[in-house]
Amino acid sequence: MTSNTTARDTAQGTAERLHAAGLHAPTDAVLSVRDLNVRFNTENGVVHAVRGVDFDVMPGKTLGIVGESGSGKSVTSMAIMGLLPPTAEITGSVRLQGKELLGLSDKAMCRHRGSDLAMVFQDPLSSLTPVYTVGTQIIEALTVHNPTMSKQAKEARAVELLGLVGIPSPKDRLKAFPHEFSGGMRQRVMIAIAIANNPRVLIADEPTTALDVTIQAQVLEVLHAAQEETGAAVVMITHDLGVVAGMADDIMVMYAGRPVETGSVDDIYYSPRMPYTMGLLGAVPRVDVAEKSSLVPIDGIPPNLTQPPTGCSFAPRCPLATEACLDGEPDLRAVAPGTGHSAACIKSEALADVDVHTVFAVPAVPVSRFDSLPRHERKTVLELRDVRKHFPLMKGALIKRRIGTVKAVDGLSFDIREGECFSIVGESGCGKTTTLLEIMEFHKDQDGEVVIGGLSNKQAADARAKSAMRKELQMVFQDPTGALDPRFTVYEVLAEPMENLGMPKAAIRKRIMELMELVGLQADHVNRFPNQFSGGQRQRIGIARALAVNPRLVVLDEPVSALDVSVQAGVINLLDKLRAELGLSYLMVAHDLSVVRHISNRVAVMYLGKIVEIGDVDAVFDNPRHPYTRALLSAIPVPDPELERTRERIILQGDLPSPLEAPAGCNFATRCPVFAALPPAKQEKCLTLEPALEASATDQQFACFYPDGELDADMLVVHENH
Amino acid sequence: MLRYLAKRALTYVFMIFLTTSSGYLLAVSTLQPALLEQERIPRPTPEQVVNSFRLKGLDPTLSPWERYVDWLTGILTRWDWGRSPNGAFINAEFGDRVWISTRLFLASIILTLVIGVALGVFTAARQYKASDRAITSYSYLMYIVPAPIAYFLVQLGAININESVGERVFFVTGISTPGLDGDGWAQFVDMLAHYAVPTFAITIVGWGAYQIAQRQYLLDNVNADFVRTARAKGLTRNQAISRHALRVSFIPVAQSIAFTIPAIFAGGFFAEKIFAWHGVGSWSIDSIALQDVNAATATLAYGSVIFAVGAILADFATTLVDPRVRVQ
Repeated sequence: MTSNTTARDTAQGTAERLHAAGLHAPTDAVLSVRDLNVRFNTENGVVHAVRGVDFDVMPGKTLGIVGESGSGKSVTSMAIMGLLPPTAEITGSVRLQGKELLGLSDKAMCRHRGSDLAMVFQDPLSSLTPVYTVGTQIIEALTVHNPTMSKQAKEARAVELLGLVGIPSPKDRLKAFPHEFSGGMRQRVMIAIAIANNPRVLIADEPTTALDVTIQAQVLEVLHAAQEETGAAVVMITHDLGVVAGMADDIMVMYAGRPVETGSVDDIYYSPRMPYTMGLLGAVPRVDVAEKSSLVPIDGIPPNLTQPPTGCSFAPRCPLATEACLDGEPDLRAVAPGTGHSAACIKSEALADVDVHTVFAVPAVPVSRFDSLPRHERKTVLELRDVRKHFPLMKGALIKRRIGTVKAVDGLSFDIREGECFSIVGESGCGKTTTLLEIMEFHKDQDGEVVIGGLSNKQAADARAKSAMRKELQMVFQDPTGALDPRFTVYEVLAEPMENLGMPKAAIRKRIMELMELVGLQADHVNRFPNQFSGGQRQRIGIARALAVNPRLVVLDEPVSALDVSVQAGVINLLDKLRAELGLSYLMVAHDLSVVRHISNRVAVMYLGKIVEIGDVDAVFDNPRHPYTRALLSAIPVPDPELERTRERIILQGDLPSPLEAPAGCNFATRCPVFAALPPAKQEKCLTLEPALEASATDQQFACFYPDGELDADMLVVHENH
Repeated sequence: MLRYLAKRALTYVFMIFLTTSSGYLLAVSTLQPALLEQERIPRPTPEQVVNSFRLKGLDPTLSPWERYVDWLTGILTRWDWGRSPNGAFINAEFGDRVWISTRLFLASIILTLVIGVALGVFTAARQYKASDRAITSYSYLMYIVPAPIAYFLVQLGAININESVGERVFFVTGISTPGLDGDGWAQFVDMLAHYAVPTFAITIVGWGAYQIAQRQYLLDNVNADFVRTARAKGLTRNQAISRHALRVSFIPVAQSIAFTIPAIFAGGFFAEKIFAWHGVGSWSIDSIALQDVNAATATLAYGSVIFAVGAILADFATTLVDPRVRVQ
């Protein structure tokens, strides 16, 4: 075959595939990508990171690109922006308003970057230059593309932009440096820079992943406003199916560098035709659903992209895979003519109206022997009574003087019974982690009492009591990679806690084999090192290590937040199973309220060191009484486009206040949507008195004078225009 | 800022006082200039020695504490740092010495910094290319080669040039030709001929450290997220690096530069000895060999002052280039 015919074949293939995919004709698309391929030369061989991506984005529309880490979604966006290192080999076509971008020099590309093609990045903390003021950085974006613009005009535009993205007193803030802004504010600045020159296409790469849910809701709102203001097409890249459900018009699901399913948002969410999409949707716990069913785990790991796949790249993980799936990679094919919905699966026709739970082997909901027992009849495994942790804030170099107190944890009381999972939720900085540290500290000089399995920190906190405490309580950490010593084999990791307790060698060996099986790892992998396992497997090792000494209570510090969605589901199911089978109790700290709802029995919502609402998880989530709980729950995006579009959302103003400026009365008054709507006479009470947790007949307590109060209209947002 | 500087300065004055006082007490109780006097011909009687030293304020019969009090009173009341056993006044000698050290090092330090930082940026932008590898290998070589050996090699090279030309182009030692008459131009050429060799030698040895540091810090920042942001705004890669990465990477380099500047005045022992420029560095060593209590203490005090100035300059430089650092 000569090179000519190859080229024609490829062109024809592309056209055919596009036709089959039912994508829009490229003429009116503002950004159109065809057969994009990206290869990186690495020490392990050529990594084919993006393999034939096609899509079009219409003006004013939003395309969501969804996929797990390593699926090639970020590389795709960087290739479009021309920001990949020169060693990357890029082929295909990227047309911006009909003009080809691939192959342009860095200099030629600069005329488009930041002008008609702009981007918002993931981590706002590191994306702004620390040594320049925010104003300088916005004005730089204007200067590059408008060299003739006057200084006053640029400054006025910068102020206008900062106002647009919701930064209060924008004129003064121009002179502020990035470190004087919170993460959410910095992401607003990034958006202001991106929209400075009214781009035609705005690419947002995981713009809210690094932010708290309440701040995420604010930033998504700003992005929405920015899109309306500029009329730009938005390409939204995310792993969170909830975030794009409400924003996107079209969705492209990527797996192993290829789009595996594309279509309108409703098609993808309500009738997915590719097992991977189905699994991904089933793997996400829902914050708005009480009904308990196990999550869909997708076994295995994504393929290594240094080897060209011979069959469907998802086949090794797909429960429906047959011989035919291994014969050549399936192309994107239209599943229903005229809808633009297409999937890369040879069985997509048979998957209409199939429930994901019948496709994937979803484990049964585990039942604990404690579940039938009423809560008050179960034994208490952990009790906190009025625990406080105040940090003095000092000033001065030689002679220190106290200028204030940070009340990280301020009078916390709760208990955990046998066989239950208790979760603490709240924004970062609310004191969740400090609470865990206080429990692990277990010292008699602590302010407040901690009782673990009948042992109180006030009575006997000597070394022996502490080691007895450690046997009762073990911890699983957030980052499975950092928590395991890379020089220890799995056997050594698991044996260490048992050796500390002086168990005989033979018993340790037997226990390790048990543990490996318990957490779903192969017993013959005990001599491997942590780096030979995937993230999910490492977290399983972390769980096995915690269980080695048979604790009654396991403290889980963000156990799944570092894992991909499909892997996360497997770990959550494992935690659920272990709780039921071993009668464990969990104390979990998590920022993902959907995960919390899925696995917890009881939940406490913390704000500035205090519990503002506590109770049965279904009661709190279905009928939140405290305005903060209401705001927190409404801020969580749900992977349900219909619901997202009509949902009323509470957007809290501002950030979590610094603990130094904690108000006198109710902590939450400064941001409270109920408080803002109250008449001044009633506001007085919130500002002077501190609401306490009110006891009630049901298992739900909250600390608010005006529960269920009317919400301030300014803080409510509903998008009806979709 | 002023209050902060005043506070820091006060702390350092106290520190300098402590080091200098303990230095003096150590020197006065160990150094015995009288023994050297015994080697003179004709040998002076012990009484003559004591008399001569008493006149210079170096009475060996007094206890160390009494001499310390005398010495300190002299400094505090008359700013008189005393005399050497040979009768020279420390104050007068000191001024000459500092000026010589400064002349020896000033040009080479400026060249070292400029060349080092510029090459650091140059090599960072061409990471792993042949030019980067050559320059960076050279810098590491200069780390390994002891400075005196490099100075000798440069001297040898200069002598070779002189011999092959058949005329004395470069002077490898000394500051100027004694008793040279002639117009301004002849003086200037003579100065260049004396300056060239030491300046060249000190510069080529010195820049390596700055090149490696600047290259390292810049490479840490070349792929930083904020450089990517700058490129996404529409800056070319080189513009983004020079406007955003360079300034950030310069913060730690600026600090080390601030410590270098005072070192110009303190001089360096090897360079001064090898090129026969008698500055502060060689004086400090010589004074110990000559059992000169006052000179040894004076150079020590001077070293402490220079260190304090460097530390304050480093703080100042950091606040100047990094807005995140604010003086409280």
